[in-house]
Amino acid sequence: MESVVEHLLPRLKEITGFIYPNEIELHWSILVVVYPYITGLVAGAFILASLVKVFKVKEVQPTYRLSLLTALAFLLVAPLPLLAHLGHPEKSFEIFLTPNKQSAMAMFGFVYAWYLMAVLLLEIWFDYRRDIILWAQEETGPRKWLHKVLSLFSSDISERAVRFDRKAVQAVTIIGIPSAFLLHGYVGFIFGSVKANPWWSSVLMPIVFLFSAIVSGIALVLLIYMIATPMRSKQIDMDCLDKLAGFLFYAMIVDFSLETLDFIHRIYESEESIEILSELVSGKLFVSLVVIQLLIGMIVPLVAIALVKLFRTPAELRRLLYFVSALLVQVGIFSTRWNVVIGGQLFSKSLRGLTAYKMSIVGVEGLLVSIAILVLPFLILLALFKILPPWKEARHEFGPPTGSG
Amino acid sequence: MDVFELLKRIRLFWSRIPEQVQRLSLLAVFFIVLFIPVRNLLVPKDFGKYGHYRPSALEEAAAQEITYAGHEACYECHDDVVDTKYHGYHKTVACETCHGPAAAHTEDPDVELPAPRERGYCPLCHEYLASRPTGFPQIVSASHNPLKPCIACHNPHDPVPPHTPAECEACHAAIARTKAVSHHVYVPCVRCHETPEEHKVSPRQHRPSKPATREFCAACHAEGATTELETRKVDLATHGERYTCWQCHYPHLPGSR
Repeated sequence: MESVVEHLLPRLKEITGFIYPNEIELHWSILVVVYPYITGLVAGAFILASLVKVFKVKEVQPTYRLSLLTALAFLLVAPLPLLAHLGHPEKSFEIFLTPNKQSAMAMFGFVYAWYLMAVLLLEIWFDYRRDIILWAQEETGPRKWLHKVLSLFSSDISERAVRFDRKAVQAVTIIGIPSAFLLHGYVGFIFGSVKANPWWSSVLMPIVFLFSAIVSGIALVLLIYMIATPMRSKQIDMDCLDKLAGFLFYAMIVDFSLETLDFIHRIYESEESIEILSELVSGKLFVSLVVIQLLIGMIVPLVAIALVKLFRTPAELRRLLYFVSALLVQVGIFSTRWNVVIGGQLFSKSLRGLTAYKMSIVGVEGLLVSIAILVLPFLILLALFKILPPWKEARHEFGPPTGSG
Repeated sequence: MDVFELLKRIRLFWSRIPEQVQRLSLLAVFFIVLFIPVRNLLVPKDFGKYGHYRPSALEEAAAQEITYAGHEACYECHDDVVDTKYHGYHKTVACETCHGPAAAHTEDPDVELPAPRERGYCPLCHEYLASRPTGFPQIVSASHNPLKPCIACHNPHDPVPPHTPAECEACHAAIARTKAVSHHVYVPCVRCHETPEEHKVSPRQHRPSKPATREFCAACHAEGATTELETRKVDLATHGERYTCWQCHYPHLPGSR
């Protein structure tokens, strides 16, 4: 009992107004912040990749495979924060064995599996197949076998087969776009459908989530491209970078408009929750919402990219501004997820008081685990770069194949 | 069509499928074929019989040891106490809420049940808390006869105050506290609520009145009323003419929105 009191006493000082006794501890911690952040990156990176294939944007071709691998690396990590948060990860497969159609959360397993198996892996496989076969022919030892297994021992690289691959990629991408919308829209749906929570319950939630996902995905691929290219002693393709920044800019405009619409709608509607929510926004969420999410994560990058677009700027300065903007966008989008997940639990259901969130450093729900989960996709991405290099020079140009085929 | 002909057709069909699709479909078939026995093995046979759960879980739950006896069991021996409680304010509070799980006691009366006598127990329900419903008796235990056990004055089986409460605050704690910081602090409750004396004894049967007309508030707040200069006055003809006052102003905290 004493330990419980000791644990709660410092929190009591942070509480304002009246809250119910079971609201002093937040149930959804930083891990649940990390989860929508990561799935957003997956959906965003995939949608960027589909720009090349479906909308034929030639300039961003250098980032096509990079975006696919980024989406894969982050998708593999996406369920980890949930598994760590819920506990008993060894039981997680049971949602596939006995599907519960009444539960949106349980159905996520299928959305995730569909997206991983039927969209992302399939598109990567069709796109890389010819290269994997050719790599396997040139290599020796374990790498040869790894690539042979990855190609599923397929060997047909005739022009007809490659043409089929290209068509398949096209088809998978077309299925993939609604699937990516479904993957992240679903995350917004989970929050938007909590009707007892006025901060979450909004039909706009899935759409706002989706566009912030596109923003974060484009910014992430831009960052990875800008870091990986000089590290490989290669020149950054400025046309590609300008186009990426352009897409980032337009996605941010749409995202900004949607969030503003949501904001105006809430104020105009002025439901009974408006007073506690305005207290929340002007108090406990002021720094993370107004300063970080809105100012640093949205307005500063928007102005920076707009200035670059308006005025003739040297490539060096453009690169610097794009890099800083994309970095700020990441901070801003992470803050967006924080404000949704943590912010939605900070006010009492009585609408008469605010509680506080104290993040722990160690422990499964703590900061260190979250950082580890956020670093892990980059390690997976490094491994993927080794196995499936997305770079132009690793690609076998079309022409007479080197092997017998 | 014979079997060989069919096989031949299948082989022909298969050879026309692009090589990569052949491999992917083999992989898909492998996973599907693997999934079916794994699912059969891992999902309990009777899963979903009554709903989205394992029916044998019901038996497991039913097999758990019963610790609560229910108040009917108490009646068999303690009918006088149960009768007293039945007619008092605690009639909806089960015996075992205070005395703990009693199944063992009903089997063997020598197993004694606790009867909370210390002061800390009753405030679990009766300590003042703004979220408790108005009319529910609440105290601030720090100032309510400190150190004296509750049962010295109140019979827990028939809890009535030892003397009729003099102040409305004894039961309407939240309203009293709200009014205490409002402009109406010096307006006694009974000026607005006509309260029959019986209300203090049986509050639900004899309810106090509530002002129903604009003219009631106007007695103090209309222009030309003889109240103090500080009391806010409005012109009733133009001020919110279609509404009753309390539809916009909360009388216990008139300044609030």
